[in-house]
Amino acid sequence: MGIKIAILVKQVPDHEAIIQLKSATELEIEDRWVCSFYDEIALEAALNIKKDHPDTELIALSAGGRRATDALRRAVAMGIDRVERVGDDLLDSAESLQVAAALAARLKELGPDLVLCGKLAGHDDQAAVGPMVAEFLGMPHASAAVELSVDPAGRKACAGRKVDGGVWTIESDLPLLVSAEKGLAEPHIPVVTRVMKAMKAKIENFPAPAGPEATLSRIGYLPPPSRPEVKMMSADFPDNVKELIGCLQEAGALS
Amino acid sequence: MNGEIWVLTENQDGQPTRTSRQMQSAAGSLAAEKNFKALAVKLKGEPYEAGRHLAALGQLIESRGKPRAILAAAGSSGLELMPRLAARLRSGYLGSVVDLRWEGDRLAARRPVYGGRAYEEVACVQTPALVTVRPGALSVTGEGEPLETVAVDAPPVPGPAVVGQQATAATGQDVSEAARVVAGGRGLGEPENFKLIEELADALGAAVGASRAVVDAGWRPHDEQVGKSGKTVCPELYIACGISGAIHHVLGMNTAKVVVAINNDPDALIFQNADFGLVGDALQVLPALTQALKGRD
Repeated sequence: MGIKIAILVKQVPDHEAIIQLKSATELEIEDRWVCSFYDEIALEAALNIKKDHPDTELIALSAGGRRATDALRRAVAMGIDRVERVGDDLLDSAESLQVAAALAARLKELGPDLVLCGKLAGHDDQAAVGPMVAEFLGMPHASAAVELSVDPAGRKACAGRKVDGGVWTIESDLPLLVSAEKGLAEPHIPVVTRVMKAMKAKIENFPAPAGPEATLSRIGYLPPPSRPEVKMMSADFPDNVKELIGCLQEAGALS
Repeated sequence: MNGEIWVLTENQDGQPTRTSRQMQSAAGSLAAEKNFKALAVKLKGEPYEAGRHLAALGQLIESRGKPRAILAAAGSSGLELMPRLAARLRSGYLGSVVDLRWEGDRLAARRPVYGGRAYEEVACVQTPALVTVRPGALSVTGEGEPLETVAVDAPPVPGPAVVGQQATAATGQDVSEAARVVAGGRGLGEPENFKLIEELADALGAAVGASRAVVDAGWRPHDEQVGKSGKTVCPELYIACGISGAIHHVLGMNTAKVVVAINNDPDALIFQNADFGLVGDALQVLPALTQALKGRD
Protein backbone atom coordinates (compact mmCIF):
# COMPACT_ATOMS: atom_id res chain seq x y z
CA MET A 1 0.00 0.00 0.00
CA GLY A 2 1.24 3.41 -0.87
CA ILE A 3 1.86 6.25 1.51
CA LYS A 4 -0.20 9.37 2.01
CA ILE A 5 1.52 12.75 1.67
CA ALA A 6 -0.04 16.01 2.81
CA ILE A 7 1.39 19.25 1.44
CA LEU A 8 0.70 22.56 3.22
CA VAL A 9 0.49 25.60 0.96
CA LYS A 10 -0.21 29.28 1.36
CA GLN A 11 -0.95 32.22 -0.92
CA VAL A 12 1.36 35.17 -0.23
CA PRO A 13 1.97 38.57 -1.87
CA ASP A 14 4.20 38.34 -4.93
CA HIS A 15 7.74 39.41 -3.99
CA GLU A 16 7.37 42.47 -6.20
CA ALA A 17 3.98 43.50 -4.78
CA ILE A 18 4.05 46.98 -3.31
CA ILE A 19 3.47 47.03 0.43
CA GLN A 20 2.93 50.33 2.19
CA LEU A 21 1.82 51.58 5.54
CA LYS A 22 -1.77 52.77 5.40
CA SER A 23 -1.57 53.79 9.05
CA ALA A 24 0.49 52.82 12.07
CA THR A 25 -1.71 49.76 12.46
CA GLU A 26 -2.60 48.83 8.90
CA LEU A 27 -0.72 47.77 5.78
CA GLU A 28 -1.82 48.26 2.23
CA ILE A 29 -0.85 45.26 0.12
CA GLU A 30 -0.95 45.41 -3.65
CA ASP A 31 -3.33 42.76 -4.98
CA ARG A 32 -0.73 40.43 -6.52
CA TRP A 33 -0.72 37.07 -4.83
CA VAL A 34 1.03 33.83 -5.61
CA CYS A 35 1.52 30.43 -4.06
CA SER A 36 4.56 30.75 -1.80
CA PHE A 37 7.90 30.02 -3.52
CA TYR A 38 8.93 27.32 -1.03
CA ASP A 39 5.45 25.76 -0.96
CA GLU A 40 5.66 25.20 -4.72
CA ILE A 41 8.96 23.41 -4.13
CA ALA A 42 7.16 21.21 -1.57
CA LEU A 43 4.40 20.47 -4.11
CA GLU A 44 6.95 19.48 -6.75
CA ALA A 45 8.85 17.33 -4.25
CA ALA A 46 5.61 15.47 -3.49
CA LEU A 47 4.97 14.97 -7.22
CA ASN A 48 8.51 13.60 -7.59
CA ILE A 49 7.89 11.04 -4.85
CA LYS A 50 4.69 9.98 -6.60
CA LYS A 51 6.64 9.51 -9.84
CA ASP A 52 8.86 6.98 -8.06
CA HIS A 53 6.00 5.45 -6.07
CA PRO A 54 2.82 5.75 -8.20
CA ASP A 55 0.49 4.47 -5.48
CA THR A 56 1.28 7.53 -3.33
CA GLU A 57 -1.73 9.65 -2.39
CA LEU A 58 -1.24 13.41 -2.45
CA ILE A 59 -3.43 15.89 -0.59
CA ALA A 60 -2.73 19.61 -0.49
CA LEU A 61 -4.13 21.70 2.37
CA SER A 62 -4.36 25.42 2.83
CA ALA A 63 -5.88 27.32 5.74
CA GLY A 64 -8.01 30.42 5.23
CA GLY A 65 -10.52 31.96 2.87
CA ARG A 66 -10.52 32.85 -0.83
CA ARG A 67 -6.73 33.08 -1.05
CA ALA A 68 -6.34 29.60 0.33
CA THR A 69 -8.55 28.49 -2.57
CA ASP A 70 -6.20 30.21 -5.01
CA ALA A 71 -3.16 28.46 -3.55
CA LEU A 72 -4.98 25.13 -3.82
CA ARG A 73 -5.89 25.78 -7.47
CA ARG A 74 -2.19 26.16 -8.14
CA ALA A 75 -1.64 22.78 -6.45
CA VAL A 76 -4.32 21.20 -8.66
CA ALA A 77 -2.81 22.77 -11.78
CA MET A 78 0.57 21.31 -10.82
CA GLY A 79 -1.01 17.86 -10.56
CA ILE A 80 -2.05 17.25 -6.96
CA ASP A 81 -4.85 14.65 -6.68
CA ARG A 82 -6.89 16.17 -3.95
CA VAL A 83 -7.05 19.51 -2.17
CA GLU A 84 -8.73 20.72 1.00
CA ARG A 85 -9.29 24.17 2.39
CA VAL A 86 -9.28 24.32 6.17
CA GLY A 87 -11.22 26.94 8.12
CA ASP A 88 -12.25 30.32 6.75
CA ASP A 89 -10.97 33.86 6.25
CA LEU A 90 -10.61 34.32 10.00
CA LEU A 91 -7.45 32.27 9.63
CA ASP A 92 -6.04 34.70 7.05
CA SER A 93 -5.16 37.11 9.83
CA ALA A 94 -4.59 34.53 12.57
CA GLU A 95 -1.18 33.97 14.09
CA SER A 96 1.04 31.02 13.13
CA LEU A 97 0.07 28.99 16.22
CA GLN A 98 -3.64 29.17 15.38
CA VAL A 99 -3.09 28.36 11.71
CA ALA A 100 -0.90 25.41 12.70
CA ALA A 101 -3.54 24.16 15.16
CA ALA A 102 -6.26 24.31 12.48
CA LEU A 103 -4.13 22.44 9.94
CA ALA A 104 -3.04 19.90 12.54
CA ALA A 105 -6.65 19.16 13.50
CA ARG A 106 -7.50 18.19 9.92
CA LEU A 107 -4.20 16.34 9.44
CA LYS A 108 -4.99 14.20 12.48
CA GLU A 109 -8.08 12.97 10.65
CA LEU A 110 -6.17 12.36 7.44
CA GLY A 111 -3.25 10.54 9.08
CA PRO A 112 -0.55 11.33 6.51
CA ASP A 113 2.74 9.40 6.49
CA LEU A 114 4.64 12.46 5.34
CA VAL A 115 3.80 16.16 5.63
CA LEU A 116 5.59 18.59 3.33
CA CYS A 117 5.59 22.38 3.48
CA GLY A 118 7.77 25.30 2.44
CA LYS A 119 10.52 26.29 4.87
CA LEU A 120 8.83 29.68 5.22
CA ALA A 121 5.87 31.43 3.64
CA GLY A 122 7.61 34.58 2.56
CA HIS A 123 5.09 37.02 4.00
CA ASP A 124 6.31 37.14 7.55
CA ASP A 125 9.46 35.01 7.40
CA GLN A 126 8.45 33.27 10.61
CA ALA A 127 9.08 29.73 9.38
CA ALA A 128 6.82 28.69 12.24
CA VAL A 129 3.81 26.78 10.92
CA GLY A 130 5.70 23.65 9.84
CA PRO A 131 7.44 22.91 13.16
CA MET A 132 4.27 23.89 15.06
CA VAL A 133 2.13 21.48 13.03
CA ALA A 134 4.68 18.74 13.69
CA GLU A 135 4.52 19.46 17.42
CA PHE A 136 0.71 19.38 17.47
CA LEU A 137 0.82 16.04 15.64
CA GLY A 138 3.55 14.67 17.89
CA MET A 139 5.56 14.04 14.73
CA PRO A 140 9.29 14.65 14.27
CA HIS A 141 10.30 17.19 11.67
CA ALA A 142 13.26 18.19 9.53
CA SER A 143 13.48 21.80 8.37
CA ALA A 144 15.01 23.20 5.21
CA ALA A 145 15.47 19.97 3.26
CA VAL A 146 17.37 20.01 -0.02
CA GLU A 147 17.18 16.25 -0.49
CA LEU A 148 14.43 13.77 0.32
CA SER A 149 13.90 10.11 -0.37
CA VAL A 150 11.14 7.92 0.94
CA ASP A 151 11.02 4.16 1.40
CA PRO A 152 7.29 3.41 1.63
CA ALA A 153 7.75 -0.33 2.29
CA GLY A 154 10.28 0.23 5.07
CA ARG A 155 8.29 3.25 6.29
CA LYS A 156 11.42 5.34 6.40
CA ALA A 157 12.52 8.70 5.02
CA CYS A 158 15.91 10.22 4.50
CA ALA A 159 16.26 14.00 4.29
CA GLY A 160 19.25 16.22 3.57
CA ARG A 161 18.89 19.31 5.75
CA LYS A 162 20.55 22.51 4.67
CA VAL A 163 22.34 23.78 7.76
CA ASP A 164 24.83 26.62 8.18
CA GLY A 165 27.87 25.45 6.27
CA GLY A 166 26.65 22.17 4.90
CA VAL A 167 24.05 19.50 4.43
CA TRP A 168 23.20 17.02 7.17
CA THR A 169 21.55 13.75 6.30
CA ILE A 170 18.77 12.71 8.65
CA GLU A 171 17.12 9.31 8.79
CA SER A 172 13.69 8.97 10.28
CA ASP A 173 10.80 6.58 10.54
CA LEU A 174 7.53 7.78 9.07
CA PRO A 175 5.51 9.78 9.85
CA LEU A 176 7.68 12.85 9.42
CA LEU A 177 7.19 16.51 8.56
CA VAL A 178 9.72 18.00 6.15
CA SER A 179 10.01 21.64 5.13
CA ALA A 180 11.39 22.44 1.71
CA GLU A 181 14.46 24.57 1.02
CA LYS A 182 15.45 25.89 -2.40
CA GLY A 183 17.02 23.00 -4.31
CA LEU A 184 14.73 20.19 -3.08
CA ALA A 185 12.82 20.27 -6.37
CA GLU A 186 12.36 22.55 -9.36
CA PRO A 187 8.68 23.54 -9.52
CA HIS A 188 7.33 23.22 -13.07
CA ILE A 189 5.02 25.81 -14.54
CA PRO A 190 1.71 24.09 -15.27
CA VAL A 191 0.39 24.24 -18.83
CA VAL A 192 -2.52 26.58 -19.53
CA THR A 193 -5.06 23.80 -20.02
CA ARG A 194 -4.32 22.46 -16.56
CA VAL A 195 -4.55 25.93 -15.07
CA MET A 196 -7.97 26.37 -16.75
CA LYS A 197 -9.11 23.01 -15.48
CA ALA A 198 -7.92 23.82 -11.99
CA MET A 199 -10.09 26.94 -12.00
CA LYS A 200 -13.13 24.66 -12.08
CA ALA A 201 -11.89 22.08 -9.59
CA LYS A 202 -14.13 21.47 -6.61
CA ILE A 203 -12.38 22.48 -3.43
CA GLU A 204 -13.70 20.93 -0.26
CA ASN A 205 -13.81 22.99 2.90
CA PHE A 206 -13.33 21.60 6.39
CA PRO A 207 -14.22 23.86 9.31
CA ALA A 208 -11.48 24.45 11.84
CA PRO A 209 -12.18 23.67 15.49
CA ALA A 210 -11.71 26.41 18.08
CA GLY A 211 -7.98 26.92 18.30
CA PRO A 212 -5.55 28.01 21.01
CA GLU A 213 -5.79 31.46 22.55
CA ALA A 214 -3.87 34.29 20.91
CA THR A 215 -0.29 34.41 22.19
CA LEU A 216 0.75 37.65 20.50
CA SER A 217 -0.65 41.13 20.27
CA ARG A 218 0.31 43.44 17.42
CA ILE A 219 1.42 46.89 18.49
CA GLY A 220 1.70 48.30 14.99
CA TYR A 221 3.64 48.62 11.77
CA LEU A 222 6.66 50.68 10.88
CA PRO A 223 8.23 51.55 7.55
CA PRO A 224 11.51 49.78 6.77
CA PRO A 225 14.56 51.70 7.98
CA SER A 226 15.56 54.13 5.26
CA ARG A 227 19.07 54.89 4.15
CA PRO A 228 20.19 58.48 3.55
CA GLU A 229 20.83 59.46 -0.06
CA VAL A 230 23.82 57.67 -1.56
CA LYS A 231 27.12 59.54 -1.67
CA MET A 232 28.71 58.98 -5.07
CA MET A 233 32.49 58.88 -5.50
CA SER A 234 34.14 60.85 -8.29
CA ALA A 235 34.57 59.20 -11.69
CA ASP A 236 38.37 59.42 -11.57
CA PHE A 237 40.10 56.11 -11.06
CA PRO A 238 42.10 55.47 -8.90
CA ASP A 239 41.34 58.62 -6.88
CA ASN A 240 37.80 57.40 -6.29
CA VAL A 241 39.15 54.29 -4.53
CA LYS A 242 41.06 56.50 -2.09
CA GLU A 243 37.97 58.64 -1.67
CA LEU A 244 35.92 55.54 -0.87
CA ILE A 245 38.38 54.35 1.76
CA GLY A 246 38.27 57.82 3.31
CA CYS A 247 34.47 57.69 3.48
CA LEU A 248 34.53 54.22 5.04
CA GLN A 249 37.05 55.31 7.64
CA GLU A 250 34.92 58.30 8.50
CA ALA A 251 31.83 56.09 8.83
CA GLY A 252 33.77 53.84 11.21
CA ALA A 253 33.32 50.87 8.92
CA LEU A 254 37.00 49.93 8.76
CA SER A 255 37.89 50.16 12.44
CA MET B 1 7.46 31.14 36.15
CA ASN B 2 10.96 32.19 37.13
CA GLY B 3 12.54 35.58 36.53
CA GLU B 4 15.05 34.45 33.93
CA ILE B 5 15.87 35.13 30.31
CA TRP B 6 17.76 32.35 28.57
CA VAL B 7 20.04 32.75 25.60
CA LEU B 8 20.75 29.60 23.60
CA THR B 9 24.39 30.21 22.91
CA GLU B 10 26.15 28.76 19.90
CA ASN B 11 29.90 28.59 19.64
CA GLN B 12 32.17 28.65 16.68
CA ASP B 13 35.85 27.80 17.17
CA GLY B 14 35.29 27.87 20.92
CA GLN B 15 33.89 31.40 20.96
CA PRO B 16 30.24 32.50 21.04
CA THR B 17 29.08 33.55 17.56
CA ARG B 18 28.49 37.22 16.80
CA THR B 19 24.72 36.69 17.08
CA SER B 20 25.11 34.86 20.40
CA ARG B 21 27.14 37.76 21.80
CA GLN B 22 24.49 40.21 20.59
CA MET B 23 21.72 38.15 22.18
CA GLN B 24 23.62 37.92 25.45
CA SER B 25 24.09 41.66 25.52
CA ALA B 26 20.40 42.29 24.71
CA ALA B 27 19.25 39.74 27.30
CA GLY B 28 21.52 41.33 29.90
CA SER B 29 19.96 44.77 29.29
CA LEU B 30 16.39 43.42 29.21
CA ALA B 31 16.96 41.50 32.44
CA ALA B 32 18.56 44.47 34.20
CA GLU B 33 15.51 46.64 33.48
CA LYS B 34 13.20 44.23 35.29
CA ASN B 35 15.54 42.78 37.89
CA PHE B 36 15.46 39.47 36.06
CA LYS B 37 18.46 37.30 35.49
CA ALA B 38 19.93 36.56 32.07
CA LEU B 39 21.61 33.20 31.56
CA ALA B 40 23.58 31.74 28.69
CA VAL B 41 22.34 28.22 28.03
CA LYS B 42 24.61 25.78 26.29
CA LEU B 43 23.00 22.58 25.04
CA LYS B 44 25.68 19.91 25.05
CA GLY B 45 25.08 17.16 22.56
CA GLU B 46 26.64 16.79 19.15
CA PRO B 47 25.43 16.65 16.51
CA TYR B 48 22.45 18.93 16.90
CA GLU B 49 19.19 17.01 16.56
CA ALA B 50 15.85 18.70 17.16
CA GLY B 51 14.56 15.83 19.31
CA ARG B 52 17.41 15.70 21.80
CA HIS B 53 17.79 19.45 22.09
CA LEU B 54 14.04 19.88 22.65
CA ALA B 55 14.14 17.18 25.33
CA ALA B 56 17.06 18.94 27.03
CA LEU B 57 15.23 22.27 26.97
CA GLY B 58 12.15 20.55 28.35
CA GLN B 59 14.20 19.23 31.25
CA LEU B 60 15.74 22.59 31.92
CA ILE B 61 12.24 24.10 32.10
CA GLU B 62 11.22 21.28 34.42
CA SER B 63 14.10 21.91 36.81
CA ARG B 64 14.31 25.72 36.77
CA GLY B 65 10.72 26.66 35.96
CA LYS B 66 9.52 28.49 32.89
CA PRO B 67 11.69 31.48 32.00
CA ARG B 68 10.25 34.80 30.81
CA ALA B 69 11.88 34.35 27.44
CA ILE B 70 14.23 32.13 25.48
CA LEU B 71 16.36 33.70 22.75
CA ALA B 72 17.97 31.71 19.95
CA ALA B 73 19.60 32.68 16.67
CA ALA B 74 17.28 32.39 13.65
CA GLY B 75 19.56 29.73 12.17
CA SER B 76 19.17 26.09 11.31
CA SER B 77 18.60 24.97 14.91
CA GLY B 78 16.76 27.96 16.43
CA LEU B 79 14.18 27.96 13.65
CA GLU B 80 13.40 24.32 14.44
CA LEU B 81 13.38 24.56 18.22
CA MET B 82 11.62 27.81 19.08
CA PRO B 83 8.38 27.45 17.05
CA ARG B 84 8.08 23.86 18.18
CA LEU B 85 8.53 24.83 21.82
CA ALA B 86 5.95 27.61 21.37
CA ALA B 87 3.41 25.04 20.18
CA ARG B 88 4.29 22.74 23.07
CA LEU B 89 3.90 25.49 25.70
CA ARG B 90 1.08 27.31 23.85
CA SER B 91 3.12 30.47 24.22
CA GLY B 92 4.20 33.26 21.93
CA TYR B 93 6.71 32.86 19.13
CA LEU B 94 8.56 35.96 17.97
CA GLY B 95 10.44 34.96 14.83
CA SER B 96 13.44 36.55 13.11
CA VAL B 97 13.33 39.66 15.24
CA VAL B 98 15.71 42.61 14.87
CA ASP B 99 14.97 44.42 18.13
CA LEU B 100 13.59 43.58 21.58
CA ARG B 101 12.16 45.78 24.32
CA TRP B 102 9.68 45.71 27.16
CA GLU B 103 6.17 46.96 26.48
CA GLY B 104 4.96 47.16 30.09
CA ASP B 105 5.53 43.68 31.42
CA ARG B 106 5.39 42.07 28.00
CA LEU B 107 8.34 41.34 25.81
CA ALA B 108 7.89 43.12 22.49
CA ALA B 109 9.81 42.60 19.29
CA ARG B 110 10.30 44.38 16.03
CA ARG B 111 10.48 42.10 13.03
CA PRO B 112 10.51 42.50 9.28
CA VAL B 113 7.41 41.30 7.44
CA TYR B 114 6.81 40.78 3.72
CA GLY B 115 10.50 40.26 3.15
CA GLY B 116 11.44 43.51 4.86
CA ARG B 117 9.03 45.73 2.95
CA ALA B 118 7.50 46.68 6.31
CA TYR B 119 8.27 46.10 9.97
CA GLU B 120 5.87 44.87 12.59
CA GLU B 121 5.94 45.38 16.34
CA VAL B 122 4.40 42.58 18.35
CA ALA B 123 4.10 41.93 22.06
CA CYS B 124 4.06 38.47 23.51
CA VAL B 125 1.01 37.89 25.73
CA GLN B 126 1.68 34.25 26.67
CA THR B 127 5.02 33.53 28.29
CA PRO B 128 7.64 32.32 27.92
CA ALA B 129 8.32 34.30 24.78
CA LEU B 130 10.16 32.05 22.35
CA VAL B 131 12.34 34.28 20.23
CA THR B 132 14.55 33.77 17.21
CA VAL B 133 16.87 36.65 16.43
CA ARG B 134 17.94 37.52 12.93
CA PRO B 135 21.69 36.84 12.70
CA GLY B 136 23.69 39.99 13.26
CA ALA B 137 20.65 42.23 13.68
CA LEU B 138 20.68 43.24 17.34
CA SER B 139 22.79 46.21 18.18
CA VAL B 140 25.21 45.69 21.03
CA THR B 141 25.24 48.46 23.59
CA GLY B 142 28.57 48.06 25.32
CA GLU B 143 30.09 44.72 26.10
CA GLY B 144 28.20 44.15 29.36
CA GLU B 145 29.04 41.52 31.94
CA PRO B 146 29.41 38.03 30.53
CA LEU B 147 26.38 35.95 31.44
CA GLU B 148 26.43 33.04 33.81
CA THR B 149 26.42 29.88 31.72
CA VAL B 150 24.27 26.84 32.35
CA ALA B 151 25.39 23.78 30.43
CA VAL B 152 22.76 21.13 29.82
CA ASP B 153 23.41 17.64 28.55
CA ALA B 154 21.33 16.69 25.55
CA PRO B 155 21.69 12.91 25.29
CA PRO B 156 20.37 11.20 22.14
CA VAL B 157 16.67 10.33 22.12
CA PRO B 158 14.75 7.95 19.86
CA GLY B 159 13.65 9.56 16.60
CA PRO B 160 15.29 11.11 13.55
CA ALA B 161 19.06 10.81 13.68
CA VAL B 162 21.83 12.58 11.85
CA VAL B 163 23.61 9.91 9.80
CA GLY B 164 25.84 12.11 7.70
CA GLN B 165 27.34 15.58 7.77
CA GLN B 166 28.62 16.98 4.55
CA ALA B 167 30.29 20.36 4.67
CA THR B 168 29.75 22.67 1.75
CA ALA B 169 33.02 23.47 -0.01
CA ALA B 170 34.48 25.63 2.75
CA THR B 171 34.79 29.12 1.38
CA GLY B 172 35.37 30.84 4.69
CA GLN B 173 33.02 32.28 7.24
CA ASP B 174 29.24 32.08 7.20
CA VAL B 175 27.86 35.06 5.33
CA SER B 176 24.93 35.55 7.74
CA GLU B 177 27.19 35.66 10.82
CA ALA B 178 29.95 37.80 9.34
CA ALA B 179 30.51 41.38 10.47
CA ARG B 180 31.67 42.27 6.95
CA VAL B 181 30.52 40.91 3.61
CA VAL B 182 31.88 41.39 0.10
CA ALA B 183 29.33 40.20 -2.46
CA GLY B 184 29.61 39.77 -6.20
CA GLY B 185 27.16 39.45 -9.07
CA ARG B 186 26.89 39.03 -12.82
CA GLY B 187 28.78 42.25 -13.38
CA LEU B 188 32.00 40.39 -12.64
CA GLY B 189 31.68 38.82 -16.08
CA GLU B 190 32.86 35.31 -15.33
CA PRO B 191 33.20 32.94 -12.36
CA GLU B 192 37.02 33.20 -12.28
CA ASN B 193 36.76 36.90 -11.47
CA PHE B 194 35.26 36.01 -8.11
CA LYS B 195 38.82 35.61 -6.90
CA LEU B 196 38.91 39.44 -6.83
CA ILE B 197 35.94 39.32 -4.44
CA GLU B 198 37.71 36.68 -2.35
CA GLU B 199 40.89 38.76 -2.18
CA LEU B 200 39.03 41.87 -1.06
CA ALA B 201 37.12 39.75 1.47
CA ASP B 202 40.43 38.41 2.77
CA ALA B 203 41.88 41.89 3.14
CA LEU B 204 38.80 42.94 5.13
CA GLY B 205 38.33 39.74 7.12
CA ALA B 206 34.94 39.54 5.41
CA ALA B 207 32.73 36.70 4.20
CA VAL B 208 31.93 36.23 0.51
CA GLY B 209 28.37 36.77 -0.67
CA ALA B 210 26.75 36.26 -4.05
CA SER B 211 23.67 37.37 -5.95
CA ARG B 212 20.98 34.92 -7.03
CA ALA B 213 22.04 35.26 -10.67
CA VAL B 214 25.54 33.89 -10.06
CA VAL B 215 24.30 31.16 -7.72
CA ASP B 216 21.70 30.04 -10.26
CA ALA B 217 24.40 30.09 -12.93
CA GLY B 218 26.47 27.74 -10.78
CA TRP B 219 29.34 30.17 -10.20
CA ARG B 220 28.96 30.11 -6.44
CA PRO B 221 27.37 27.82 -3.81
CA HIS B 222 23.85 28.55 -2.53
CA ASP B 223 25.38 29.01 0.94
CA GLU B 224 26.71 32.38 -0.21
CA GLN B 225 23.47 33.65 -1.73
CA VAL B 226 22.20 36.88 -0.23
CA GLY B 227 18.57 37.73 -0.91
CA LYS B 228 15.03 36.53 -0.67
CA SER B 229 15.67 32.88 -1.48
CA GLY B 230 19.09 32.94 0.12
CA LYS B 231 20.35 34.46 3.34
CA THR B 232 19.46 37.68 5.05
CA VAL B 233 22.54 39.46 6.29
CA CYS B 234 23.07 42.34 8.74
CA PRO B 235 26.81 43.03 8.68
CA GLU B 236 28.52 46.26 9.75
CA LEU B 237 29.86 46.64 6.22
CA TYR B 238 28.43 45.28 2.96
CA ILE B 239 30.20 45.78 -0.35
CA ALA B 240 28.16 44.89 -3.43
CA CYS B 241 30.19 44.53 -6.63
CA GLY B 242 28.60 44.04 -10.02
CA ILE B 243 25.20 43.48 -8.43
CA SER B 244 22.34 45.35 -10.09
CA GLY B 245 20.25 45.55 -6.91
CA ALA B 246 17.06 43.74 -7.82
CA ILE B 247 14.51 43.85 -4.98
CA HIS B 248 15.21 40.16 -4.46
CA HIS B 249 18.78 40.96 -3.47
CA VAL B 250 18.06 44.18 -1.61
CA LEU B 251 15.61 42.43 0.75
CA GLY B 252 18.50 40.27 1.91
CA MET B 253 20.94 43.08 2.71
CA ASN B 254 19.07 46.32 3.36
CA THR B 255 19.58 46.06 7.10
CA ALA B 256 23.37 46.14 6.69
CA LYS B 257 24.84 49.12 8.52
CA VAL B 258 27.13 50.61 5.88
CA VAL B 259 26.59 49.64 2.23
CA VAL B 260 29.03 50.25 -0.61
CA ALA B 261 27.96 49.69 -4.22
CA ILE B 262 30.44 49.27 -7.03
CA ASN B 263 28.86 49.01 -10.46
CA ASN B 264 29.65 50.17 -13.98
CA ASP B 265 26.02 51.19 -14.58
CA PRO B 266 25.35 54.57 -12.93
CA ASP B 267 21.60 53.82 -13.04
CA ALA B 268 21.87 50.47 -11.25
CA LEU B 269 19.21 50.13 -8.55
CA ILE B 270 21.83 49.09 -6.01
CA PHE B 271 22.93 52.73 -5.70
CA GLN B 272 19.52 53.58 -4.24
CA ASN B 273 20.24 51.16 -1.41
CA ALA B 274 23.81 52.16 -0.69
CA ASP B 275 25.56 54.72 1.46
CA PHE B 276 28.56 55.03 -0.83
CA GLY B 277 28.55 54.47 -4.58
CA LEU B 278 31.37 54.07 -7.02
CA VAL B 279 30.75 53.87 -10.76
CA GLY B 280 33.49 51.84 -12.34
CA ASP B 281 34.69 48.53 -13.65
CA ALA B 282 34.77 46.05 -10.78
CA LEU B 283 37.74 44.26 -12.38
CA GLN B 284 39.76 47.46 -12.08
CA VAL B 285 38.32 48.83 -8.84
CA LEU B 286 38.47 45.65 -6.77
CA PRO B 287 42.25 45.01 -7.03
CA ALA B 288 42.95 48.69 -6.36
CA LEU B 289 40.69 48.63 -3.30
CA THR B 290 42.27 45.41 -2.01
CA GLN B 291 45.75 46.83 -2.52
CA ALA B 292 44.93 50.11 -0.82
CA LEU B 293 43.36 48.35 2.17
CA LYS B 294 46.35 46.04 2.54
CA GLY B 295 48.71 49.01 2.38
CA ARG B 296 46.71 50.74 5.10
CA ASP B 297 48.00 48.54 7.94
